[in-house]
Amino acid sequence: MNEKIKDQLKNAIIGGNTEVLLKNIDKIIRSKKEDPLKIIQDAMIPAIRNVGDMFGRGEIFLPEMLMAAETFQSGMKVIEPKLIDSGRRIEKIGKVVFGTVLNDIHEIGKNIVITLMRTHGFEVYDIGANVSPITFVEKAKDVGADIIAMSALMTTTMTYQKDVIDYLREEGERDKYIILVGGGPVDNEWAEKIGADGTSDTAPGAVELAERLILERKREAR
Amino acid sequence: MVDFLDVCERASKGPMMPQRDFDLKVFIPTLRRVLEKYNIKWEKREVINTDDRLADRVFEAAIEFYEGVGTYVTDTERVIKFSREEILDGIREAPKEVYFGEGADRYVMRGNLPDTNELVHCHVGSGTETSIEYALRLVEAYARIKKGKTLSVPIVNMVRHVRTASGSPAEVLAGIRCLQIAREGCRLAGRPGLAISSMISSCTSGGTTIAATAPQFGGRPSDGWLIAPTSELKIDYSELMKVPYLMSWGANIGQEQGPVLGGYAGGPEGLAVVNTAYAFHGVLVARADYHITYPIHMTYVCSSVPEVLWAVSVSIQGIGRNMRVPYYSLLYAAAGAATKMFFYEALANILTLVSSGAGVEDPHPGKAKIKDGATPIDSEYSCELVHALKGITRKEANRIIDRVIPKYIDRIADPPNGETVDQCYDLDRLKPKPHFEKLYYDGVVKELKTDFGIELYKN
Repeated sequence: MNEKIKDQLKNAIIGGNTEVLLKNIDKIIRSKKEDPLKIIQDAMIPAIRNVGDMFGRGEIFLPEMLMAAETFQSGMKVIEPKLIDSGRRIEKIGKVVFGTVLNDIHEIGKNIVITLMRTHGFEVYDIGANVSPITFVEKAKDVGADIIAMSALMTTTMTYQKDVIDYLREEGERDKYIILVGGGPVDNEWAEKIGADGTSDTAPGAVELAERLILERKREAR
Repeated sequence: MVDFLDVCERASKGPMMPQRDFDLKVFIPTLRRVLEKYNIKWEKREVINTDDRLADRVFEAAIEFYEGVGTYVTDTERVIKFSREEILDGIREAPKEVYFGEGADRYVMRGNLPDTNELVHCHVGSGTETSIEYALRLVEAYARIKKGKTLSVPIVNMVRHVRTASGSPAEVLAGIRCLQIAREGCRLAGRPGLAISSMISSCTSGGTTIAATAPQFGGRPSDGWLIAPTSELKIDYSELMKVPYLMSWGANIGQEQGPVLGGYAGGPEGLAVVNTAYAFHGVLVARADYHITYPIHMTYVCSSVPEVLWAVSVSIQGIGRNMRVPYYSLLYAAAGAATKMFFYEALANILTLVSSGAGVEDPHPGKAKIKDGATPIDSEYSCELVHALKGITRKEANRIIDRVIPKYIDRIADPPNGETVDQCYDLDRLKPKPHFEKLYYDGVVKELKTDFGIELYKN
């Protein structure tokens, strides 16, 4: 792909400029000179990963990352149908069901990690806040999730993270999923105590952990 | 001021939109627009803002921002909106003083200007999770700090063998127990009228709070009762239902908020505007008599980084100059209790608050995340500093803070955990254990005097 065009696409995503991105994608598709898959692989994915890394380094904040993610998604909506037409699709790293636990309406931490996970190629199902334990499990079954991620901001709500894990155990399905827990009061000791697979203090740390655990699971499955 | 019933009506009839649209299409663009229009910029030359015109511009920007954004109600997915005139009315009519406590412990808290010569408010105690066996002794120790004029009560999450969960019946029992411990601890300290102004941190839903606050369990209208939004500028009915209950009881209502640097507010400039806008939300939606803020950095989950300190300073200066409401701040330290780093972080936080004219709640160690991770020495140090720094100007405070921040900033990402209260504090004798006593008096207090010219325990 022409370096100039590639840079234009990348800059549009990093700057959260949907109009410019869509205009350029349209131009490329009309010219029929480029494979749509190349647009995604060579320009869009590196750009959105770059956005995630910039966020991790504290160079940009949530508004910039959200705008970039929205722009990226708008581009994907145009290109993905072209890929499907040609019988191809973008491989996702893994599927994540992500919510804030019962009686907890705090969503900012969850939303930050979800946005960052999406920039790193995860398919994330955001099931919102105040989510009952059984809803987490049912949703994970429905979509065939690899990871169940639970956020809780208060010491009185993090106990519902344990309920999800207990329910999975009762159902004999604990080992089917990687369980990640997070939020203000959550630490390694709590994660270990309730039988979660891990936690992280930071959003970039949570994404790294998810990537590592998915990779380990894939290796084990081979 | 706009009637509270009108607020209720707007919560159920205001503009409807998904939460994501509120964040992405309303909150973020409006914030960006006002930041540019009012030229809000942190030049990084100083940690504590000294520019009054900038503080006023932040305040003006926040009015326009809140007029454009309003408060989102998560249950109804509607926005409570206010006109500029209604916001200005709220600013004019907001309570300018609040009476806490009873009898000899009665205390009036007022708002202050930056560079004030007045003694700012001192709040002691910690709302961190605490083992039930330590809670009573801790409250007594906090209440014995005479310079503290209001008190926080530890969170108790266990009722015998049952761990409480938010909204559960056991939470009501924990709330009642928490109140009883608070009153008993104050009585043991000889201050039965002392106000508890973080009531009730063991209860996290409107229903359980209302149940546990029934006066027969010890709650008083002269305590302080907090209304908490979620980030940013959102509230749910469970929280909002406390407002008419507390108003009808004639109880002191506190607006609390913890805006996040790096979250929807973006950088320090956005944090300053959003933190200011919460004061308007507090008056109009939460019907606040007083205000408390605890902004944190998204990654480090503490307040002692320069960008958060600047945002706190400029926003509370703007609020002080243009609104003068009773206002204090709880800033989180990254380092755990009984570490030198904690005391440096606390010093930076308190320099910022005192010189900017805000009251002080003792900075909480270990991001308030460590169970039993707060000690009465944190509160004592905080009160002593507030008294020692009385009358300090922002310029003088900046000269000191510039020497304090380098002492901890390199370790902010990986701070020491410190100790739990039972490890470093004698809960029978209510004094620090010898190793902590040595660190505190021989290390911290002496160094403050020799290196910074700040003398504690003068009176």
